[in-house]
Amino acid sequence: MLGYRLQKRDEPWSWGAPIIVVGALVLSLGISALLLKLQGKSAVEGLFVLWQGSFGASWALEDALLKSIPIFLCALGVATAFRMQVWNIGAEGQFALGAIGATWAALNFPDLPGYLLMPLMFFSAAVFGGFWAYIPAILRLKLKVNEIISTLMLNYIAILLLEYLVFGVWKDPKSYGFPVTPEFTGGAVIGQIGDSRLHWGFVVCIGAGLGMWAFMRFTRLGFDIKVAGEGQRVAMYSRLPYGKLTILVMAISGALAGWAGCIETSAVVNRLQPSIMVGYGYTAIVVAWLARLHPLYIAISAYLLAALRVGVENMQLELQIPAAFGSIMEGLILMSVLAGQMLVTYKIRRKK
Amino acid sequence: MKGPQDLTRPDSQKATGFADAAPLISLKGITKRFGKVVANKDISLDLYPGRIKALLGENGAGKSTLMNMLAGRFKPDEGYIEVDGVRKEFTSSKDAIKAGIGMVYQHFMLVETMTVAENVLLGQEGSFFINPREMNDRVRKLAVDYELEIDPTARISDLSMGEKQRVEILKLLYRESRVLIFDEPTAVLTPREAFRLFEALWAMTRLGKSVVFISHKLEEVMAIADEVAILRRGAIDDEVMRDKITSKADLACRMVGKEVLLEVTKEDVEIGEKVLEVKNMTGIGLRGINLHVRKGEVVAIVGVAGNGQQELVEGVSGLRKPPKDTIFIMNKPWRKFFAEMTWNNSMSYIPEDRLDLATARNLDLVDNLLLTTGKGFTKGPFLQRDKAAKVAQELVEEYDVRPGRIQALAWQLSGGNLQKMVLARELYRQPHLIVAEQPTQGLDISATEEVWNKLLEARKMAGILLITGDLGEAVQLADRVAVMYCGQIMDEFPVTDTAKLDNIGLLMAGVRE
Repeated sequence: MLGYRLQKRDEPWSWGAPIIVVGALVLSLGISALLLKLQGKSAVEGLFVLWQGSFGASWALEDALLKSIPIFLCALGVATAFRMQVWNIGAEGQFALGAIGATWAALNFPDLPGYLLMPLMFFSAAVFGGFWAYIPAILRLKLKVNEIISTLMLNYIAILLLEYLVFGVWKDPKSYGFPVTPEFTGGAVIGQIGDSRLHWGFVVCIGAGLGMWAFMRFTRLGFDIKVAGEGQRVAMYSRLPYGKLTILVMAISGALAGWAGCIETSAVVNRLQPSIMVGYGYTAIVVAWLARLHPLYIAISAYLLAALRVGVENMQLELQIPAAFGSIMEGLILMSVLAGQMLVTYKIRRKK
Repeated sequence: MKGPQDLTRPDSQKATGFADAAPLISLKGITKRFGKVVANKDISLDLYPGRIKALLGENGAGKSTLMNMLAGRFKPDEGYIEVDGVRKEFTSSKDAIKAGIGMVYQHFMLVETMTVAENVLLGQEGSFFINPREMNDRVRKLAVDYELEIDPTARISDLSMGEKQRVEILKLLYRESRVLIFDEPTAVLTPREAFRLFEALWAMTRLGKSVVFISHKLEEVMAIADEVAILRRGAIDDEVMRDKITSKADLACRMVGKEVLLEVTKEDVEIGEKVLEVKNMTGIGLRGINLHVRKGEVVAIVGVAGNGQQELVEGVSGLRKPPKDTIFIMNKPWRKFFAEMTWNNSMSYIPEDRLDLATARNLDLVDNLLLTTGKGFTKGPFLQRDKAAKVAQELVEEYDVRPGRIQALAWQLSGGNLQKMVLARELYRQPHLIVAEQPTQGLDISATEEVWNKLLEARKMAGILLITGDLGEAVQLADRVAVMYCGQIMDEFPVTDTAKLDNIGLLMAGVRE
């Protein structure tokens, strides 16, 4: 078309990945600037405010780091499932179940000391989140239900379940009718690191990231997951238990998202309330793809997209831009990266 | 094909009036190479109007390469294509379409949610807007002319495989293709639908189309072809008029061929205990199979593809569950063997599909080594990748797998090198039973020789079940030969029995003396 054609490369483009990500960022920022222009705002000022809000001040950096914690954990989880080509779109719901699981422990054992209660909360969050991911896994294996659809639908059920709890049985009688649970006791709250606003959940992230990296790289099970991701036929030839591995990756995926929910409730809001559901689980999908499923890159892109969220909030305040603008930018970045990935295996040639 | 249906063409179906016609398309001395492998060697073919030419050949004989050149996807390295006697260069598939060449592939390319007529007109040049009724009428008329009964308003997703195939054909007829090439068209059809396809093919020839029918089903070729061309190892081995072929067995004999491409010396090794026994196995597409393989011997299963070889391999290699108490490996019942299977001193399977079954295309050679040997490089929960890398490097050097880097990904290797890697890995496991499926398909002579020698050497530790479509390979490697037809073993005999070997074509065609 238009005198150009695609030609398959003999070898994948080794420098492709970073160039494509940067190119995609530039392209999506460009389109965003155009959209600002259409809204009658100054594009240059808009991008400047975005930069200010994302990286321009210490509060912005801190805010982004805080937001990147749940995004990172969810993305680490979905990346594990994606690696096996199991399309878990349900981090959002698994996040909600994790928050519910942690709250259950916090509300039922309020008097336990922190060193007992905290592990219990993390354990219960992992079990709840893992269970929520186990449902689509088993549906896929037994009934061939497409996991993209089932995980997505379970997100809505999870959110409704969370709302049912905070509007009903777990509602704080002293909340003047607001849908929140009672505030957690001291042992159930993850504390701040020193004087900063950063909490100890950040350390959990680092631990989980290193743990998953080592798991995938050094263990036999991690290798089996990688092989199973290459296709069911190869897995069958290698005599791998494909079904069990599917369940395992979904459970890991759900448990990590569950931890994100646990940390968000305990450290940030100190109670369960519907406002914790702000779409981290969906952003995580973008993050995992941007990072091409690698834990270190997941950390970087989780931070970048968290910064984008903070920056767009700043734009909303300063320039009266609709809240949906953030989602639009996120979507633009994902689309341009996905489209750009074609250039790793193809090159564009002028027609002779 | 089963059932009593008579496939022969009635006289009323004969195409007349094209006796002296010039060929529509001529291939002139076409050669195509991929690296060292010659996929097509000096192929010349004439396609005449009103005639059906059957192209027979095993998988890997070069059929798809030839098709791709006719479709304008590949350019021949030597030789050229003539359209109506004029030399033409196809630079893209558009040129091939313009020349009137159309393909019906095994995988249909249809939009499931659209109607028959919409699919037929999709992508055709012409006016931008089309009246749906006129569209339906045009397609209906075309269908009637060629006896391709179909409702133009039906949705593709509601159609059977046979009906979908008719839509594919209508697409070609609508853009006035004159040469229609069918790639194993009956593979997806029921016998009844297959016969209706034949009627449509006859209708096409009566209207002056030229048909190329690619198949390895002998009955069908006997029933519908006017001319038969046999493709083997990339070259046209034989080309005859259908009238000259006296019987199915005659055709089978021609297909098998006799020439010896390569000879290897075969040392005697000691024959040991039974490593594989198949006892009266009926089910998963097989009937009454009895077979055994001892350590130190090679048993070759030969036959035309699609006669139960794949089912047998899948059963033995554990990909598919056979009926109870029919397969015994190393003296254990199937179920027990696979439950207790260890990574070494066990069974190795070298599949026909090297990329995507035997290897993972996007993983490097170390990871691909670990596919089946992983258990041997495991310590507690950990994988000893460094140790595996060392072994991979040794194997790459010993088997001369090129390029010699263990970081290379499976898909970057040529067929021959990939096969050597698979062989290296599977022999590293010190198996007692080896199932080798078409181990030299698509390999050049030197790689074939290496694979043969390695397999013969492997007899010292294992019994080998060899599945091959190449009789030469069977003769060179095997101690005993078993011929399969329609899910049964027709006969089994020592390879030294030349009388039986000479008549192997009959057995492959299902004729018992």
